[in-house]
Amino acid sequence: MIDVIAAVQPLVVGVVLIWSARVKLASPHAAAAANRSALVRLLGQHRALPAYRLLGGVELTLGALLLLPPVLRAEALAATGLAVAFLGYLAYARRAAPTSSCGCLSARATPVSGRSLARAGLLAVAGGLALLATGGWPTAVAGHPVAGGAVLVVELAAVVALSPELDQVWLLPLRRLRARLTHPLRGGSGVPLLATVQQLQLSDAYRRVAPLLRSDVREHWDEGDWRFVGHAARYQGRLVTAVFAVPLADREPDRVRVAVVDDATGQTLLNLTGARPASGPRLSIAPV
Amino acid sequence: MNQTLDRRRLLATAALGGVVGATGLGSLAPEAAFAAEPATIEPGAPDPNFAEGRISRISGSMLLVTGSDTVLHSIRITDGTSIWKLHPTTFDKVTVGDGLYARGVRLPDGTLAADSVWLNIVNLHGHIAAVGRNVLHLDHQGRRIVAHVVPDRSAAVYNGTPAVSDLSLLRVGRHVQVLGAWHPDTNEIDIATVYAAA
Repeated sequence: MIDVIAAVQPLVVGVVLIWSARVKLASPHAAAAANRSALVRLLGQHRALPAYRLLGGVELTLGALLLLPPVLRAEALAATGLAVAFLGYLAYARRAAPTSSCGCLSARATPVSGRSLARAGLLAVAGGLALLATGGWPTAVAGHPVAGGAVLVVELAAVVALSPELDQVWLLPLRRLRARLTHPLRGGSGVPLLATVQQLQLSDAYRRVAPLLRSDVREHWDEGDWRFVGHAARYQGRLVTAVFAVPLADREPDRVRVAVVDDATGQTLLNLTGARPASGPRLSIAPV
Repeated sequence: MNQTLDRRRLLATAALGGVVGATGLGSLAPEAAFAAEPATIEPGAPDPNFAEGRISRISGSMLLVTGSDTVLHSIRITDGTSIWKLHPTTFDKVTVGDGLYARGVRLPDGTLAADSVWLNIVNLHGHIAAVGRNVLHLDHQGRRIVAHVVPDRSAAVYNGTPAVSDLSLLRVGRHVQVLGAWHPDTNEIDIATVYAAA
């Protein structure tokens, strides 16, 4: 069994390396990915892209060598070395440039996470196992198609599961499906305070009183069809409360009313009701 | 309690057409009375009427606040101060350790008489990574933020339309902007408003 597992490893590592090289060499976003990576920190802005491309070339070459016969121990050794070096680089990136992107299997900006490190570790182990292989992967898979296929599928699934870049492809659709089936956010009802404040701020009453206001919303309460919103204000040197009455259910900023009430005496100093018709010609636009 | 009710009755009556009793105050034309005060802040200088930081001590109606630049502020809460902590609330909800933004008037002794105080307010962008029962998991610059939906408080603004209470149009994978109240020293927030495309 260990023979089959070992023999399949070059295939796994080769596929992952070629996938990784594809992003670095063929992606139109390779330059952006290189600029977001920790290579900028490690080598400088100008050398990041050439180094990124060079790494892609090395990965492509090694991946192709691993996939194509003959199977040489040196290839497995080189793959292990590359995976270990990559593990070191990711650990460095996580410490030295935590906001940098991995740039590993996708040009999508993905910070280096524990999963990226685990994936690099998995590849290093796979490379190490490949050193034990006695024959090529085509013969092993042909000899034990079920076992070989199962090992291949499980390992590639593990690589995909450990790749935050690929979440978009499988994890988010699964989570979307779960949300669609369970509706976890349903149940909100009532008129939020923000809707009242938005309506209030569109009103003529607010526009006229706004320069008096000193505070944000201090209190609000509902009474019948109205929601009352109180602000602290200052009017002619007195501490006052500006209380707005806003229609609760309907969106009619023109009906918003305001009173300015003296805090000390309870006297109403000012009362504005509704909108005054705008003076001058008015263009009426009817929705088509 | 009764006092609050009486006060609210008075204010409601005034707003819905109470009698204006102060005719001796001169012109009541708002435009005449509301001339804006001239701005006195030097361009580029820190605004003296603003303070931010975390509350290190509460003594009476004074908040002692350590700014993120380690400047110490004394902030006085007055009867007219609005206090926001996910929603408009009262002074007894203020606790040591809360983050704070305050705006008011700087007094000659250096204290800030606050007009408005916002506690633990955060404004952040992120992607919805997952949705649970009344909770959003947000990806915010590679970090995970747990954003709780607070029934009857949280609101959603879809495509810039008026706010609604229904958050069920939020989709996993979409970009959102969230205004909310941070739970101090955690990666969790309560959602005040979430802005999204639908």
